[in-house]
Amino acid sequence: MAQRLSPLQELVAPLNPVQHTVHGMQVATALGQNAHTHTVLLADASCLPRMGVKGAKAEAWLAGQGVSAPPAVNSWLRTPDGTLVARLARSEFFIEALADAGTVARLRSQLQPASGVTPVLRQDAALVLSGTRVHELLTQTCNINFSAYAIDAHTVVMTSMVGVTVLVVWEPINGAPRYRLWCDHTFAPYLWETLMEIARELGGGATGLQQLLSEALDQGK
Amino acid sequence: MVSLMTSRLPPVLGEWIDRTQPRAFCFEGKHYSGYEGDVISSALWAAGEHVLGRSFKYHRPRGILSLANHDVNTLMEDRFHVNLRADVTALREGMEVTAVNTYGSGGVQGDRARFVDKLSGLLPVGFYYKAFHRPRRFAQQWEQFFRYMTGLGRPKFDLPRIITGKRYDFVDVVVIGAGPSGLAAGIEAASCGASVIIVDENTRAGGSLGYARGGSDASYDRLQQLLAQAAHLPNLQIRGGTFAAGWYTDHWIALVDDQRMTKLRARATIVASGAFEQPAVFRNNDLPGVMFASAAQRLIYRYSVKPMTQAVVLTANREGYDAAADLHRHGIGVSVIVDLRDQGENAIPESLRDVRVLKGSCVLEATARGNHLGGVRVAAFANGAPNFDHSESFACDGLLVSCGAAPAANLLYQAGCKMRYACEVEQFIPDVLTPGLFAAGRVNGRHDLEDRLLDGKRAGREAARYLGLSQAEPLSGTLSWRNPTHPYPVVPHPSGKNFVDFDEDLQLKDFHNAAKEGFDNIELLKRYSTVGMGPSQGKHSNMNAVRILARIRNEPIDQVGTTTARPMYHPVPLSHLAGRGFHPMRQTPLHTRHQRAAAVWMQAGNWWRPEYYAVGRKSKLECVRAEAHAVRTSVGLIDVGTLGKMDLYGPDAGEFLERVYTGRFANLKIGMTRYCAMIDESGVIIDDGVVGRLGEQHFYFTTTTTGSANVYRELVRWNVQWGLDIGIVNVTGAMGAVNLAGPKSREVLAQLTQLDLSAQAFPYLGLRQANVEGVPCRLIRVGFVGELGYEIHAPAEQIGVVWDALMRAGAAHGIQSFGVEAQRLLRLEKGHVIIGQDTDGLTTPIEAGMGWAVKMDKNFFVGQRSLRIVEKRASKQVAMGFTLPKTFSGEAPKECHLVIHAGNIAGRVTSIAYSEALGQHVGLGFIVPDLAAEGTAFQIRGEGGVMIDAQIAKPPFYDPAGDRQKL
Repeated sequence: MAQRLSPLQELVAPLNPVQHTVHGMQVATALGQNAHTHTVLLADASCLPRMGVKGAKAEAWLAGQGVSAPPAVNSWLRTPDGTLVARLARSEFFIEALADAGTVARLRSQLQPASGVTPVLRQDAALVLSGTRVHELLTQTCNINFSAYAIDAHTVVMTSMVGVTVLVVWEPINGAPRYRLWCDHTFAPYLWETLMEIARELGGGATGLQQLLSEALDQGK
Repeated sequence: MVSLMTSRLPPVLGEWIDRTQPRAFCFEGKHYSGYEGDVISSALWAAGEHVLGRSFKYHRPRGILSLANHDVNTLMEDRFHVNLRADVTALREGMEVTAVNTYGSGGVQGDRARFVDKLSGLLPVGFYYKAFHRPRRFAQQWEQFFRYMTGLGRPKFDLPRIITGKRYDFVDVVVIGAGPSGLAAGIEAASCGASVIIVDENTRAGGSLGYARGGSDASYDRLQQLLAQAAHLPNLQIRGGTFAAGWYTDHWIALVDDQRMTKLRARATIVASGAFEQPAVFRNNDLPGVMFASAAQRLIYRYSVKPMTQAVVLTANREGYDAAADLHRHGIGVSVIVDLRDQGENAIPESLRDVRVLKGSCVLEATARGNHLGGVRVAAFANGAPNFDHSESFACDGLLVSCGAAPAANLLYQAGCKMRYACEVEQFIPDVLTPGLFAAGRVNGRHDLEDRLLDGKRAGREAARYLGLSQAEPLSGTLSWRNPTHPYPVVPHPSGKNFVDFDEDLQLKDFHNAAKEGFDNIELLKRYSTVGMGPSQGKHSNMNAVRILARIRNEPIDQVGTTTARPMYHPVPLSHLAGRGFHPMRQTPLHTRHQRAAAVWMQAGNWWRPEYYAVGRKSKLECVRAEAHAVRTSVGLIDVGTLGKMDLYGPDAGEFLERVYTGRFANLKIGMTRYCAMIDESGVIIDDGVVGRLGEQHFYFTTTTTGSANVYRELVRWNVQWGLDIGIVNVTGAMGAVNLAGPKSREVLAQLTQLDLSAQAFPYLGLRQANVEGVPCRLIRVGFVGELGYEIHAPAEQIGVVWDALMRAGAAHGIQSFGVEAQRLLRLEKGHVIIGQDTDGLTTPIEAGMGWAVKMDKNFFVGQRSLRIVEKRASKQVAMGFTLPKTFSGEAPKECHLVIHAGNIAGRVTSIAYSEALGQHVGLGFIVPDLAAEGTAFQIRGEGGVMIDAQIAKPPFYDPAGDRQKL
């Protein structure tokens, strides 16, 4: 497989990253700076393979592949192998691998367009946000009241952040807030730079995937 | 002569200043000292400076009036800020401030423009309008004069940008105002379980509880109790120094503080914003030393500043007597209390028993000693008429005015509440509140402290009940309608200078004159006289203006009505409105490669695109021509990832395309592409691109760079109606794309793919899927630039691999990356139109000469019906190609320059460039049909009106047979 390139690679490169190839993409697993900060942390998780499927028969198709989908619209679940399955609409699904990309690879290979089953190419940039002041970052960038949602509801929020359409889920890490965020590949540099500007004002900065999403690296490193 | 700091009182319970932290500052070039916690005005008043500003029109000396940001007597500026409101601007160490609106070296004391006050008789109401109206020949001079004389503050263009990022916030209940009713409301709502934010424009909570003490500290103690209660409620926040600038639908409140604007989404709003104390209108009521009673009390209890040494109190309510008691308590003499009411006040504080009270009296005029109040002349007053025949004078250096209040109801108006004028309290109060909105306290017509507290608690509980957070019964209890407001505190005077609007220097006579001239509707009066249009937005003037107009029209105030209260409540700095300034821009996955290649960027919609690539000291034109030359002679590579890209699946996909595009696509062969044009329902071209067929039920098509989002939205919208069995996926951001173009492109590409690239196996307009450098790609044989070429589309994460491989493979041929400018030139040589540049918002395919792309014999497509109508009409203009003579050597016409024929506009240029390949300028445009025949000579009016000869020529100008792209 040809190399995959993160849309954020060039922005992370000056930060003295420790890089590893994960799922065919070079990604910063750690950074030489800001490792000590805990106010706001951002990491690039674009390396995780992802795909989409939509259509009236998409849910049935997933079930046929042995992948269960969350029953409620705008919710998500993780399969036993860590794959994230998010239901974006009644008949649209977003699927992302974690360390084990087997399920995503299998689904991709099996997915053929058919009536009611439409493949969706997902090349999103993926970010992880965390830190003690991450909510301050969110209140400056997004008009969603994340605290109004119960964490165990596994809600998917599709909204606009600094003018960019994003998909957000939150998955606490050891009781601390942690947000997963996806956006269109081509908006990623703008989104990253804008969030970084605010994060720096809040005393935070970038970090590597190891610190925020180590579970993505267990097998894929 | 008052020396520095002599007006500072001994420590006062609850004072806001910190006497351990002196603050040195400079006003008008003189040095002063105040304390941390002071505002500029309080520090200056403490230092004996009473002339803090000059009025807008007459340049009259002005001092403290409200000390509450309800007037702008004290507008100042410093190095970094324009129009600081000194009454509420915190004193900072090293501040250097000056008053605005002064002329000459004399500053605020010796303002050279003060002579205007002597000319006031020549400046009638509506003077600006009249000056411009007649005689017209002086309009320009007037304009220059007004521009010189008017305006407040000077804009500063050399300031650093201060980022004031906005933030969002969320709460169950927001309470506007942290006075007694606001605190009571917030505490009750929070006690019921609601999350509550109380905001107040003052830096500390408490409102009048902190300063309107009536000679004792009981109200201050009450405030401490409330604050202690609030402190025990973790779900209650009090935000000082924050004002609610506007109320918007669904309880969206714009909160403004020093640092930023917060967009607060509440589920319910309680407006407990209190009331603005109102001035009495009498001659010279603007002299420094004449101030609201509440202003004097703020000076005493917040800043420990003596407002004056000997006072007269003009009142029409209990609050005036309380203020007099506060003065007396702090050693300030009270010469007389002048009560506008015949019956006076029943419960006079004990400490005032020796003070003379004149009931049924008014202040006829204030008299000056230098630039300051020196005394007042008092006369009997009945039903708005003073007795000029008999008056009595009193010496004083301070006059307290306490004649009533106007509700701070701006947010209630903005929220669409129905208000009514309640004669019981001589003010407008909410009559019908909108859902989720509650009012309490003075803004609700409740003026006694116990009533305000109870009213606040009632509103808090109602808000909690509204949100389903409380099952408790609504609070009951009878509230009083004590009225502190005089119905007409206006004293006419034959010599005028009895000001109604302090911002605009409007006198009582101005209102009478405006009404005589026919401007006797409140909205017309506002605009003609400019009442309420100054920076304080009518807070101290609108209500008196309404009262005066009601008298003039002899109508009840309800019938006169009020002006519209729009956001913002106070002026908001533009930096706050701008916020951080989010401008989402897209970058293709190849952005950094272009950056490294010295791309010069341009914006195309919300995309960054390389306009061209800079080379050494070469000019832009040289670079563009070199890029174009490479494409024409060898090979070039351009990033076209900004094109909209869509996947379309499903058994009805072909039928869907038939409906949304003008061409025919159901019969498109697998592996082939076709040009597509999209029109809207009125027949206007809105987009174009290429449709390719990858499978029986799978199409892949492109849109213009700026059109992808709109096209996708339209397509989804249409299919909601049609219900065809399709699936559309917008892969604009998920797919990158490049165009490899030039006679050597096949040789370059062949090094990277196993695909048979021969013309037979992969013909012009063909579409294939194949790996390029191991990356799964879609390849389209296109000819936009008129050479053999391949558009290569690949997943965004991997298009960089393709680009790098192509650049390496093309190195031996001198491959050149080329930008938008070269592409525009190359396509122009081919006569290809760009939608949006060579068409506009009215252009149909018929006018654009694109009839070949429209299949009118189809059953249906969007816009077909309109085109049927359009094609029956004679076109007013048609698309044209043209050339300039090869001998032309002057400045060429530009896009949008006009075609002139027989003295009339006969068309316009939409694209033009010099073609090195052809050795002449070529262009596209529109022209009247009579001149459109090939070979017709015409003229274009170029820069500076120069007429330039041109000739109609049929595009394509370059390789008319298209042989080069079909190789």
